[in-house]
Amino acid sequence: MLKPLLTKLLNHLINQNLTAKEQLQPFASKSVNFRLPPLNVTLVVLEDGGLAIAGESSTPEATVTIPMSVALRLLANDEAANSLITLEGDSELAATLAKVLRGFSWNYEEDLSRIVGAMPASKVTSFGRKATEQVSAQAQNATASLTEYLREDQQLIAANYAIQQFLSDVDDVRDDAERLAKRLQKLEAAITEKLNKKPAA
Amino acid sequence: MSEESSTHFGFKTINENEKAQKVGEVFHSVARNYDLMNDVMSAGLHRGWKRFAVEISGVSAGGRVLDVAGGSGDMSRLFAKKVGDTGEVVLTDINASMLAVGRDRLIDAGLTAPALQCDAEKLPFPDQYFDCVCVAFGLRNMTHKEKALAEMQRVLKVGGRLLVLEFSQIWKPLAPLYDAYSFKLLPLMGKLFAKDADSYQYLAESIRMHPDQETLRQMMLDAGFAKVDYYNLAAGVVALHKGWKI
Repeated sequence: MLKPLLTKLLNHLINQNLTAKEQLQPFASKSVNFRLPPLNVTLVVLEDGGLAIAGESSTPEATVTIPMSVALRLLANDEAANSLITLEGDSELAATLAKVLRGFSWNYEEDLSRIVGAMPASKVTSFGRKATEQVSAQAQNATASLTEYLREDQQLIAANYAIQQFLSDVDDVRDDAERLAKRLQKLEAAITEKLNKKPAA
Repeated sequence: MSEESSTHFGFKTINENEKAQKVGEVFHSVARNYDLMNDVMSAGLHRGWKRFAVEISGVSAGGRVLDVAGGSGDMSRLFAKKVGDTGEVVLTDINASMLAVGRDRLIDAGLTAPALQCDAEKLPFPDQYFDCVCVAFGLRNMTHKEKALAEMQRVLKVGGRLLVLEFSQIWKPLAPLYDAYSFKLLPLMGKLFAKDADSYQYLAESIRMHPDQETLRQMMLDAGFAKVDYYNLAAGVVALHKGWKI
């Protein structure tokens, strides 16, 4: 019963993101296989622009592979990680579906309002939003304090500017070493030339 | 009895001409208790399977849907909500008793869908008329399944879909348990709730004689569908096949 439940959930989200339906409709009946080890799921675009889990005999038109390390970077909003996603087959279909899935947002206030009514739902979600903001701010403060303690007091981690300085110093040392090697080569060549010119006694 | 003119009626082999009448007798007998027995036999799961089929159909507002062997009208009712006032749903069944149950339930739900008594092997509709055709738990009772599938393909528009929801082959390790349920418990439940053990014995037998998932998929491809995909539901007790006419 997992497929019907996931399909129901997907279409619930799609119905809350109406532009997604318009974007997907041109790809009706086509399916995309998402590989996010250890997960492997194939989604099919329905004729009304909805989404469903594909059936057992489905042959996907495109494949999207997202390694776990890339998935974690995507979750951390690292835009550069997008270039590490592998798309195979119908790339337009895969790219559209991946874009739609990343743009999904859950309108939980609307869902809650159906159960408890509009006003209580608005109050509950407003309270939830404020609580989340508070927790997030506290977490950021705690992280900053811990980072400062480890960097300044314990000197277990380095500051970004210190790492950049270190990298720049390494580059300078490498350039200096290369220059020195060239000068030594020149000197060796000059000595060899002088020794060859010296007439035999 | 020649090979060409014989067919299955459960585990029995009968003359082709007799099947429709015999199936008709079964459904005439169970019509009044059909909903109750469906709920008892599937523990209410048949409602979820039907909703899933409608969800997968991709039908939107204004769509035209044909419900073949629609019986109690469950699928028509769900589709009618999906297509809205601008759409059209037609309920059909070969059996007058079942069709009457379905028609009355649609009216009770405040829906006005035409209910037509007709044979799925000779559908009285023009070519390329419907966006979606569905047959839920009806195909296995048809005498010439290939003919019925070809008819359903004919009345579909290009881009239209056929949905076949039907009992199928269960996951092998569960087969002994399912056999015990089908041949011991099912007729007993039929006797207790519907006072009709024979009809439910036929139900169990007809499920075993119905093509498995892959065979039905191939039959749909042979009937002219360009692409067919299927879903196993409840470990294969039921399968939902979706075929596209392209």
